[in-house]
Amino acid sequence: MTTTQEPTVNAPAKPTAGYKYIGTDRKRVEDPRLLVGRGNYIADMKVQGLLHAAILRSPVPHARIDSIDTSEALKIPGVVAVLTGEDCKAHMNPCMNFGPPTIAQYPIAVDKVRYVGEAVAVVVAESRYIAEDGVDVLDVEFSDLPLVTDPKAALEPGAAPLHEEHGSNLAYERTFEFGDIAAAMADADLVVSDTLHWGRSAGMPMETSGAIARPGNNGVLEVYCNSLNFSYLQFLVAGALKIPSNKLKMQPVAAGGSFGSKFTAHKVPTLTAFLALRTGRPVSYVEDRLDHLMNSDHHASDRYYEARMGFTKDGMITGLDIDVLDDYGAYLQFGTGTHGNALSQLTGPYRFRNARYALRAALTNKCQQGAYRGFGSEVHNWVLERLVDQAATKLGLAPEDIRRRNFILPEEFPYKIPGGNLYDSGNYPAVLDKALGMIDIEHWRKEKARLREEEGRHIGIGIATTQERSVFSSTEFWFWFDEPAFPITSSPESATITIDPAGAFQLQLHCQAMWGNSPETVATTVLAEEFGVEPETVNVSYADTSRALPGTGPGGSRFTVMVAGAVRGASRKLKKKLIDIAAHSLEVSADDLELVDGQVQVVGAPERSLGIPELAGSAYFFALNLPPGMESGLEESHTYDHPYTTLPAADRSDLGVFYPIMGHACHIAVLEVDPDTGQTSFLDYVAVHDAGTVVNPKSLGGHVTGGAAQGLGSTLYEELVYDAEGQFKSSTFLDYLVPTANEVPPFRIGHVETPSPYTEFGIKGGGEGGRMVTPSVVSSAIDDALAEYGMHVQQLPVKPADIVATVQNARAGQ
Amino acid sequence: MVATTTVRDSRVPGAPSPTTHDRLVVYRTTIGQAMKPPRFQYRDPDTLADAVALKARHGSDALILAGGQSLMPMLNMRLAAPSVVIDINGVTDLQQITRNGDVVEIGAGVRQSALETDPLIREALPLLARAVPHIGHIENRHRGTVGGSLAHADASAELPCTAVVSDAVVVLQGQNGRREVPASSFFDGFMTNACADDELVVAVRYPVTPAGAGTAFVEVARRNGDFALAAAGVIAEVDGDGRFTRLAVGVAGVASVPLRATDVEQELLGRPVDPATIEAAAKRVEAAVTTGDDIHATSAYRKHLAATVVSRAVLAAATDARNGGNR
Repeated sequence: MTTTQEPTVNAPAKPTAGYKYIGTDRKRVEDPRLLVGRGNYIADMKVQGLLHAAILRSPVPHARIDSIDTSEALKIPGVVAVLTGEDCKAHMNPCMNFGPPTIAQYPIAVDKVRYVGEAVAVVVAESRYIAEDGVDVLDVEFSDLPLVTDPKAALEPGAAPLHEEHGSNLAYERTFEFGDIAAAMADADLVVSDTLHWGRSAGMPMETSGAIARPGNNGVLEVYCNSLNFSYLQFLVAGALKIPSNKLKMQPVAAGGSFGSKFTAHKVPTLTAFLALRTGRPVSYVEDRLDHLMNSDHHASDRYYEARMGFTKDGMITGLDIDVLDDYGAYLQFGTGTHGNALSQLTGPYRFRNARYALRAALTNKCQQGAYRGFGSEVHNWVLERLVDQAATKLGLAPEDIRRRNFILPEEFPYKIPGGNLYDSGNYPAVLDKALGMIDIEHWRKEKARLREEEGRHIGIGIATTQERSVFSSTEFWFWFDEPAFPITSSPESATITIDPAGAFQLQLHCQAMWGNSPETVATTVLAEEFGVEPETVNVSYADTSRALPGTGPGGSRFTVMVAGAVRGASRKLKKKLIDIAAHSLEVSADDLELVDGQVQVVGAPERSLGIPELAGSAYFFALNLPPGMESGLEESHTYDHPYTTLPAADRSDLGVFYPIMGHACHIAVLEVDPDTGQTSFLDYVAVHDAGTVVNPKSLGGHVTGGAAQGLGSTLYEELVYDAEGQFKSSTFLDYLVPTANEVPPFRIGHVETPSPYTEFGIKGGGEGGRMVTPSVVSSAIDDALAEYGMHVQQLPVKPADIVATVQNARAGQ
Repeated sequence: MVATTTVRDSRVPGAPSPTTHDRLVVYRTTIGQAMKPPRFQYRDPDTLADAVALKARHGSDALILAGGQSLMPMLNMRLAAPSVVIDINGVTDLQQITRNGDVVEIGAGVRQSALETDPLIREALPLLARAVPHIGHIENRHRGTVGGSLAHADASAELPCTAVVSDAVVVLQGQNGRREVPASSFFDGFMTNACADDELVVAVRYPVTPAGAGTAFVEVARRNGDFALAAAGVIAEVDGDGRFTRLAVGVAGVASVPLRATDVEQELLGRPVDPATIEAAAKRVEAAVTTGDDIHATSAYRKHLAATVVSRAVLAAATDARNGGNR
């Protein structure tokens, strides 16, 4: 086998051959301004008379707030106001919340604190320095309450409830069963089981969450922020602030990065808006790193699993049985949506019909969970792959063989999985074959044996094949409850294309889209494909909420698919108008015209044509040249709704189609483990993804690389640690270890393209895939490297100390 | 003398000027939103005499700003709240590396990165050239100073470890003159040192490594550039029969101060260079490990790691010696 093997005969033909812009490597149109330091991030904004906020954070995990003495702070010259939970109680409604209404949350703790780092009081002052001075002299009296840090103990009778109104620390419990799991396990020749813990980590953008709020004209409060899907959910912020939604204007500000961490991160803009309302002055609140790590509501999944999987002696999966307890922390802003992501790809890429998924969500004295690349699907992938690996070892099957035997085959799509979600298309064997070929698996298997024999080194090879769901539908937020509080079914995206009188293109997006991703590259590439103009010539802007059409923004790997649909829809309308104007001017039938490379021409007679500038001139300034009844101007908008979503069954035996645009990936890692230091180093790593039609291989490669790097962080380095006393131990980058260029190997990336039958151009989302595979493959490789010591990764992150302990225990027992 | 001292107010543009100094420069920050240390007075003397006088006047209320790699985060997180910060970056007298016979004196203000590239250091103090690349990242080393690292006295830091292994001497200066403190007694507790409140660390003197001696520095950290979970610096001399004739082993990151692994040194002295012998002897260092569990390492892991880095560093230094060391 060679290292240069191209897609096997099973791979589909490259479907982008007919496109001029889509599918070719292009530099990002966002880069020029970012590379010269003109990103215009939130902290770069200058506002006349701006005040600055600093926050006193709770030093205790669970306590009643008896009193807050603000008098010393208010004596400091330059301190304008000190606000506490009492102000929130008096003047606000609880923050937006997709969890149970009995778990209410305010941006400043009301009556009691529930985790270390929760906001207790906010000082607003003429500068951040003075605000911090004010924080230093606040005097708060707490009465400690019994603390709850262990999620299992949190659910024991007698555990102190975090939310008295909710009654217990069990935030949610439900068991979903599809097929017959008892029979599946009874019929299995082999049942593997495992006890697993996925620890907390989080997306960690260089730029924290921040907002500036300014009282504007006509009583409109203007909020600039780098978080939130504001055109989707702005009215919920207005509701919390008790102001009419048309008196709150939210303007998106580009974020340096999010990785999910700023997805619907509502507390920072809500709080900042509240401060501006109460002081009547413009106020800035930009989290510092301590604020961000402790309190940005972006901590991700923290799950404890008892998992079982049945197999026939031939390695065919019979069923999957999951009990999962998720430590959600002190609040539940997204409900249990992170498990909806797991249910969307419950069976992975494998063909089996029986599954049980029992979920309990616990409340503990920790920061609440938020969104992070994968949104909980990556955890389920890891559990699945752990079980499949274990079965392969016990059955004596090669890891690629057991997977191949169970793959859903290309001809079986669209494939409805147990639980109801649909997989649109795929070619899993092609992805696996491409990865095996790229890494030359047989070479590494020989090399592994040779290095062990001749040099005493421990090399491990890991293989993981996992799903990469994309394009979420909001129906996933409401199948959890028989009577959902928030039964929405829309999650659209919009675009407005304007051709100005000179023929130049303006493209307006209607959501908070610039999160360190490539929204403008994608949108302008699609526009370029439609009109034949260069992407770099298109100017992109973002609507504020006073103008925005429906838009949901990035999240659930939806944006590329959805914005492509929106831009294409608007393009179709605008192209029709251009052609109608040209038909009228050229006195030919519109049916005889086509738009090619920026001009409208007669089919078969391209010398009879009109350029876009000429047509634009007519549209704006020569109404008498337009077809009768046509409005002047050249602007069209389109709102693109989710391409394929269905309602859940009333009895929830079928959850409906909510995440059908299904990508797939195979990663193979070769790494070396030092058994005496526990350190790992990569010798090779390939990552092959199928995200449907690739819009831009360069930017998709960036997504895979960044996601895989973050997956590596969650696997080996990053951990948000609370000790048994509820103290937070990871509040700086001294202790929260984000992998750097030194730790991240050069991922070799391959693409397989199986177009989606349901999306424009056949695109699938690919923004999260890297992180949805790395934990599985690295765990597998570590186990393989140290198999002689009985290494078996059951907890992430797996730390050097864990590895050395396993090795030392094995040595002691020999 | 104080005429050259600049007084700046760190916080409030246009604040009333302190009256004790002659010249006032108001510090106007363009990144005022991003920085948030508590209020302090800022002095930046041009001469060592001025620096010493300021330190003597303000004592424990003053902290020295050299490279700022530890002090600035502490200020911004308000873990340190000095009333005065004395910036010694303008004191060029402290930025020299000089050799006097068998001693190399390194000024406190010398940047750590200079030790990686300076030919004199590479030849005369090869252990330093090997240890310094483990300090943080290159950006930290371009700014961080030798004196700053010693004064910060972090037991997991590389330079304090090299000082202890090398029997270096730390030079302190107060208003009554200079005194010299051996590294072994300079580091006297967790993040503390023998420098009095009215003194500055002004230099460190390393004995030149003998010709033919081998050196090695082995470190394990969670990530490249992180604080050492355990590190070992070794200077070894080996005779023609392949036996250790001199051995100095220092260990960082395992106790409240950088250690000498004297048990290991004594056990190996006179013994042949043999991996199994070295590995067995290195285990004696485990008893000296007192750092308890933290989120990066368990105590048991750190003990094993200490023995591992000592074993590997001793073997590497011996191999280096057999290959002629730095000569």
